[in-house]
Amino acid sequence: MSRLRVIAVTLAAAAGIAALAGAAVVFLGLYNTSAKSGHWAITGWVLHTTFENAVELRAPPPKAVPDDLEDPALIELGARHFDSACRMCHASPGQVAGATVRAMVPPPPQIERATANWQPAEMHWIVEQGVKMSGMPAWPAEGRGDEVWAVVAFLSAVKRGLGPADYATLTEPSPQGYCAGCHGRQGTVRAPRLDILSPEYIATALRAYRTGARPSGIMAHAISQVDPAADARLAADLSDLPPAPRDENGQAPAADAEAIARTGSIDIPACLSCHGPGNRNPLIPSLDGQVRAYLEQQLFLWRDGRRGGGARAVLMHEAADALTDVQIRALAAYFAERGVPDRNDPE
Amino acid sequence: MSICRRIRALHPVALPLLLGGCDGPQSALRPGGQDAAQLYLLFVVMLVGAVVLWLALNGLFFYFTRVNQQQFSLRHGNRIIIGAGVILPTVVVGSLLAWGLSIMPSQRAPGDGLVIRVTGEEWWWRVEYWPPGADAPIVSANEIRFPAGSRTELRLTARTYIHSLWIPSLGGKMDMIPGRETVLTLHPDLEGFYRGQCAEFCGASHAMMAFESVVMAPDDFDAWLAHEAAPASRPQTPMQVRGQDIFRDEGCGACHAIRGTEFTGSVGPDLTHLASRHSLAAGIMEVERDDLMRWIAHTRDIKPQVAMPPYDWLDAEELAALAAYLESLE
Repeated sequence: MSRLRVIAVTLAAAAGIAALAGAAVVFLGLYNTSAKSGHWAITGWVLHTTFENAVELRAPPPKAVPDDLEDPALIELGARHFDSACRMCHASPGQVAGATVRAMVPPPPQIERATANWQPAEMHWIVEQGVKMSGMPAWPAEGRGDEVWAVVAFLSAVKRGLGPADYATLTEPSPQGYCAGCHGRQGTVRAPRLDILSPEYIATALRAYRTGARPSGIMAHAISQVDPAADARLAADLSDLPPAPRDENGQAPAADAEAIARTGSIDIPACLSCHGPGNRNPLIPSLDGQVRAYLEQQLFLWRDGRRGGGARAVLMHEAADALTDVQIRALAAYFAERGVPDRNDPE
Repeated sequence: MSICRRIRALHPVALPLLLGGCDGPQSALRPGGQDAAQLYLLFVVMLVGAVVLWLALNGLFFYFTRVNQQQFSLRHGNRIIIGAGVILPTVVVGSLLAWGLSIMPSQRAPGDGLVIRVTGEEWWWRVEYWPPGADAPIVSANEIRFPAGSRTELRLTARTYIHSLWIPSLGGKMDMIPGRETVLTLHPDLEGFYRGQCAEFCGASHAMMAFESVVMAPDDFDAWLAHEAAPASRPQTPMQVRGQDIFRDEGCGACHAIRGTEFTGSVGPDLTHLASRHSLAAGIMEVERDDLMRWIAHTRDIKPQVAMPPYDWLDAEELAALAAYLESLE
């Protein structure tokens, strides 16, 4: 036998034995998946170091970080989402997670420790992407990295020293119920007001959040806390929910916003044809007096094709298609400043 | 039209197949105006000339190879070559060039007053009539009407892509270019319907970008234009009223104007007198109940990539009411 042939046969035999050994581990249950003993030190080190370097390599550049990260409203929105979606594992500032969670492998880091060593861009990547084999889930909506910044704003506030008392104030439950925490009287000015929307529109939106037709990680989580059977009643209740008083020190809307809203242009359908007081379609939302930051965010989502909703969503994709950034900001300010019509008034 | 008939008479079976394109409302061989007649004459002269030349050339070949095979003298040969090979083509091509150049300006001759601005959109035609002295246009779409017996100026441009306006029975084609204005003037003479078509490939629905053009007696045209300038009629029947409510509540007015109502959008075609037009969706369907219902619910299946979204959530009753309202917009 030639030397080459000896090498080839040896390699083939080794590969066969390795495959058999691997199959035995998988099919005979030889590997112990018990979480009791944790990882070997070396395994833990390899996994964690791999994770840290993966985040550093893939995190968005620092210039992608929005400049309103210290906006109290954004921090509050992030805090309320954290309180409902993340606190169970990471605990609120100054607290420790429950014993069951602490027995996870690896145990989720307590929130102050979790935020200590990361920059905002890196936090964004971790929250949006999740961490494989650690229990940390990805953001539950595709293409909504914009929402993740609210959580990053909160995490950055924790890193800057937000304490238990601040946290309790930020996440104080509303006597009007879970939804009102964001949308109600003490709600954040980042969440839309619901009192100007019809029950039919709210019901359609809730359905779209449930099915994912309207992607939103925050709302997908929030709606999963509510029994689907209660949606119809919930929609009716929510359309009566009084909103938070606003003090946005509103930018005055640019002059051409009203012209676009009223008559549109050769590229832009007139907003008020659908969203004006003359339109009686309950599935088309009124925008008068809506939260400016919300309108702006939604218009960007519409224009960029990332917003879903009911069947008529296709109309808004066409409508927002030609809007410039400047026009979007102007229109958001214009509708935020418009007086809220009295719903009981027939005209 | 005469040449087609005459050629057709030669062979009753085969030629109609070949000459199917000669007839109908979209034929350059059936001129309905001065400009098309001029192009038609040019075509006929070229065709007849080409046939004569072809026969003469083959006649010469035949003569020299079969009839008279004698050797010619050098002088005689040179005379034939210089006469038939240099002088004749120079004279023929030169005179064709002179004639062609001399009739070119008439394709852009100044109009007699009426100006029609046409904008090529994706994939339809925005049409504005500017009668002499007007300070605002009379807006319409997807149909161009002309008064017979005078020269109308067409000022053309396009929205996003390059299109080309061509009414073969009335004249030549002219490109429509975004950000630039091109001018074409037409002098239609024969009253009737002529079909126009975009003649420059412009994207997914290029083949579905057509229109009707109508040449009318001057008095009829004036009466029609006055009616076109008037606001839309009000809905009469309960079904039409319901259709108008649906039109409003579905936000149709954000893109479509119906003058005399609250609907003032300018993204899509003006619908003020939709029902008096002879086609729907830029020359591809008719303005009648079934086509309207099918169009509104299935725009993008019928016309790929068109801007108007398909309103497929409307049920048959709603679509019928909407169609009834649109059909009432005479």
